Amino acid sequence: MTTIAPAPGRERVTESDRSPAERVPERVDHSRERVRGLDTVWLLVFLAPFLLLYLSFTIWPLIATIYYSFFDWSGIGPIEPFVGTRNYSTILADPLFWVSVVNTLVFALLTTAIKLPISLVAAILLTRKWLRGKPFFRTVFFAPLIIPVAMAGLVFTYLLNPSNGALNAILRDFGLVDQGFDVFANRWSALLVLVLVSIWQIFGQYMIYWMAALQNVPDELYEAAAIDGASEWKKLTRITLPIIRPVAVIITLLGLVNAMHVFGLVVTLTAGGPGTSTYVVSYFIYQNAFGRVPFAYGYASAAALLFSVIAFVLVSAQGLAVRRAQRLRKEYGV
Amino acid sequence: MTTITQAARRSHTVRGNLIALPILLVIGLVWAYPFLWTISAAFKTQAGMFTSGASLVPDQLNFDNFVRAWVNAGFSGYFFNTVLYSVVSTFIELVKAALCGYVLARYEFPGRTLLYRMIVGTLFIPVASIIVPQFVLIENLGLLNTRAGVILAMSGGAGALYVLLFVGFFSSVPADLFEAAKLDGAGFLKTFGLILPLAKPVIAVVVIFQFISSWNEFNIPLVFTLGQPDLQNLAVGMMSFQGEYATDWTGFAAGMTISFLPMLMIFLFFQNYFTRGLAGATKG
Repeated sequence: MTTIAPAPGRERVTESDRSPAERVPERVDHSRERVRGLDTVWLLVFLAPFLLLYLSFTIWPLIATIYYSFFDWSGIGPIEPFVGTRNYSTILADPLFWVSVVNTLVFALLTTAIKLPISLVAAILLTRKWLRGKPFFRTVFFAPLIIPVAMAGLVFTYLLNPSNGALNAILRDFGLVDQGFDVFANRWSALLVLVLVSIWQIFGQYMIYWMAALQNVPDELYEAAAIDGASEWKKLTRITLPIIRPVAVIITLLGLVNAMHVFGLVVTLTAGGPGTSTYVVSYFIYQNAFGRVPFAYGYASAAALLFSVIAFVLVSAQGLAVRRAQRLRKEYGV
Repeated sequence: MTTITQAARRSHTVRGNLIALPILLVIGLVWAYPFLWTISAAFKTQAGMFTSGASLVPDQLNFDNFVRAWVNAGFSGYFFNTVLYSVVSTFIELVKAALCGYVLARYEFPGRTLLYRMIVGTLFIPVASIIVPQFVLIENLGLLNTRAGVILAMSGGAGALYVLLFVGFFSSVPADLFEAAKLDGAGFLKTFGLILPLAKPVIAVVVIFQFISSWNEFNIPLVFTLGQPDLQNLAVGMMSFQGEYATDWTGFAAGMTISFLPMLMIFLFFQNYFTRGLAGATKG
């Protein structure tokens, strides 16, 4: 009997020896107790640490961001002058902001589109009973996660540098180029490098997510399929994928959102260059808020807010997909 | 119960490995190369670095680079800060998520639904978009350019996901267990103490994820230690190192090696526990 941690998006624990019929439905409404007497005090004590930090470091900053965005404030002295919606109109007309938004979205969509399928394949392979050398592969794929993203950026800066980096050395040995070429000199090749390095770094985390999702597929289904003589491919497309679909939506969501946070890699690999062509939103905000004097807190806040709205719209679209997937799963009766 | 004979299963195994292993090995090599390169560069001399930058075999084994990185370039300080930030913020995250998740899962109280919805709603707020007010807040608390300020900022904004993980886990604990504890006369705290050990898998996941993400945290230490290099963690310190010793690649590689080897050891050590914690008992 094994206890299994809930996979992202699947917030319950299953026991592998429980038959599907006995499984608790996904959103089981546990009868929660009403608090009485002394317990009320404990309840407040238990909530206090989270609430304190959450209200001061998430909720208040959210409200403050909205507030600052109507001022042309440099962070020093009183919050003034009030400029209404001028920050917004300036940003909407700021080509650099739009470059940042486009880059961030391109980056998020590309990394997600590449990292999810390959990490799923790796997870499927690494959960097969017959595969040799699992611990070794797990370690290799997981290792990049433990180096700070900025370091990854610096290592790849060197590996890709045109004079004596590994990439050019290899290309020269194969006679593909006769002189070093600089991947960071062009917007699209620089963006592509950002995407690939980010995938190299985060791959292991998504592999683990998928492994967790795969654990939630009841073994009985595979056994039944094996008795019916189903091939591995059939098992994958008819059992595994439909069942992990709702989790897949959540993992996709996490992937997109995490990719929208991209910051350290951009700072260390391209610093937004060549020129300003690989700016991403977090870098744009950072540059406006802390990267130049006088600080433009109001302007940065307005940019942050606008981007949050864009991200929220994307996430909500995903949310609708989640609901559809859940309905589908009910039809499968899993 | 199987209908497949032993021999058939064996041939199936061999075929699967023959197809999968080469593919995985090639990918694995690509994945491992930057690590191997860094470790080998840490032993190279400056000259060797220049003539054979890409090779994985150092021209000679010298340890000067490590000494230079650790002593002159301040890696020891960055390392200390990184460990401190990671350990403390992981502890804070774990405590607040476990306590909050427990009461959200078990008790009905005014505002519970609102709080739950708020947590879900703010799950995907990018740190970058609220860092300015966080900065102002830390500044007003008088904690700018202090280690406490960095830790507070690191453990303040995150953790909504961890709360949800705990809510999910505690909701799935059978009600009979709580009933039994009550019949035995266990109070609020005692019951929590009895149930918490069951949450080991969730605790493992939260600890590992938070530790990794705080170990790698870049944006917050960068902004909150703008005036103070000696408070920086490895991720940010690397940048100053590069700024100051732009050409000292071997020293840089040595610093990197120093900083990732301990984490790699920890991962190797806990690897099985981790994969089991997150993905259940992976038969491997």
